[in-house]
Amino acid sequence: MTPDLLIQSTIIGLSIGSIYILMALGLTLMFGMMHIINFAHGAIYMLGAFAIYYIFSQWGAPYFAAFVLAMLLLGTFGYLVERSIYRAVKGGIEPTLVALLALTTFLQAAGYPVFGQLDKHVPPVFHGTRNVLGVMISVERLMIIPMAGALVVGLNLFINKTKMGAAMRAIEQDKEAAALQGVNVHVVNGLAFAIGFALAAASGALMAPIFKLDPMMGEQPLLKAFIIIILGGLGSIPGAILGGLMLGLIDSIVATALGAEPAFLLSFVFIILLLLFKPTGLFGYAPP
Amino acid sequence: MRRLRVGVLIVLVLLMLLVPQLGGDYYVHVFALVFTNVILAASLRPSLTCGQLNIGHSAFMSVGAYASALLAKNLAVSFEVSMLCGALLAAVVGLVIGYPSLRLRGVYFAMVTVAFVEVIRLIAQLWVPLTRGMSGLSGIPKPNLLGVTLVTKASQYYLALFLMLLTLLILWKLESSRLGLIWKSIGMADNLAQSLGVNIANHKLLAFLLGCFFAGVAGAFYAHFIRFLFPPEFGFLMATNILVYNYVGGRGHFAGPIVGAAFLSLLSEPFRGSAYETIFFSIAMLLTILFLPGGLITLPGKLAELRGWKSASAHSPSPAA
Repeated sequence: MTPDLLIQSTIIGLSIGSIYILMALGLTLMFGMMHIINFAHGAIYMLGAFAIYYIFSQWGAPYFAAFVLAMLLLGTFGYLVERSIYRAVKGGIEPTLVALLALTTFLQAAGYPVFGQLDKHVPPVFHGTRNVLGVMISVERLMIIPMAGALVVGLNLFINKTKMGAAMRAIEQDKEAAALQGVNVHVVNGLAFAIGFALAAASGALMAPIFKLDPMMGEQPLLKAFIIIILGGLGSIPGAILGGLMLGLIDSIVATALGAEPAFLLSFVFIILLLLFKPTGLFGYAPP
Repeated sequence: MRRLRVGVLIVLVLLMLLVPQLGGDYYVHVFALVFTNVILAASLRPSLTCGQLNIGHSAFMSVGAYASALLAKNLAVSFEVSMLCGALLAAVVGLVIGYPSLRLRGVYFAMVTVAFVEVIRLIAQLWVPLTRGMSGLSGIPKPNLLGVTLVTKASQYYLALFLMLLTLLILWKLESSRLGLIWKSIGMADNLAQSLGVNIANHKLLAFLLGCFFAGVAGAFYAHFIRFLFPPEFGFLMATNILVYNYVGGRGHFAGPIVGAAFLSLLSEPFRGSAYETIFFSIAMLLTILFLPGGLITLPGKLAELRGWKSASAHSPSPAA
């Protein structure tokens, strides 16, 4: 591998990594508060990408408007899922997981008759290439890094600086105590669902101009996000960020050297080894 | 009541024995696949009873299917041997990936099992010299049982029926033994079970490996029955379906996965293989979780309760009288 290729795949790794971070952050936030894993996260990623396809490339809205609209629409959907499923099963972890699994297969399968059998393509939003450290990188891929970065910073500010964010952290520590202090647990859980779904939609929306679109496109990013949050420790936001960067780099550098499938197998072997020696991940706490 | 149940069971088995005589090859084919699904669903139950949400069960079916098919195709091994080897290999693979993952609880375990499916699928896809990868493995011989090749669909149907009944018998005996009680206690409160001297790690592993073994059996039969294997077939979707059979049927009783698998596979038969099959499955699953959390097996009880409540209110003297 030449140095140029290494720099190039490192930068591409950072841009893939920032998508992974967005996916993993939503998952880890929802896990921290409710101890559930959103299996529908990949399907929401797919819907985010298709939202861009319809709103931006079919109906001609500006990309940023389409991006915000996709996040708002799917965020609302997340809130509704909390109301109709999570609240209906009274927060039971296993029924919620299975219901979310069913929601995933439903959205994927319904995608074929609704969106059509053929792969969809979104035209490029940012054109051209740019010279970074002596290698040429497409602006499309480069732009992912600041956009995802802005969302990550925004989420951190929201969680650490606002009253709603404080309520989320309170629920994460102790749901009953938070409720006794006047936190409306239902509304805040709904908000966590909305944020998680909106972040997944944002990841899909960012990737839409780069990859082809089909109803199953969310499976790979979902698995990657799983690996990241196991690696970083469930419920840990710094863990998700570090894990996302690591996996993005592994994915890009190993995939350039050996191919995409061996890269996935390698990350899985890594996870199995990690589980053997440190089952809580890098920053995680013991499972409840 | 017990006598009634035994009677119903005997009638059901007799009916199943008569399917090839009453219906054509189509029904034979459909029911043989239903039996495979029943084996898969029932084999997941021990693990679920221990509270381990396994969303990767189709991976082990895939291992059993490929192992048995390759042994029979390349080495002309007879079905009983290739099936046992396939099932054992599935259990060994289960041991290798299950041992580290079973240290995890709840959602951690569930997430890792999702990755199992992908790993096994990728191996089947990438190991082209052995599995033929994405071109699919074809030319798998028909099951050759004790030197006799089962040529007709009907004879293969009886093989499926036998395998299903044997699997159910073994799993039922295990579940109604002390072991079943231990599994249940782990599922309800593993800390408490541990404090009472139950080795929860070993029992979880045993339940998991049993499931892998019988998933391998189902896979082996499937391979020699359909005679074509394609890696993506054993993906996430099939793994979810196996879980769905258990939930829609009901988690509370051994009959749950059997009822769930039979009900869903028969009802979805008109649109087998299309996207609508999955849509139907997922809607059935969501409705069950939301409106019938105990699954289909609690339906008769609920209906009886409803009727009893209605007739009781009809007979009770009205305050005006």
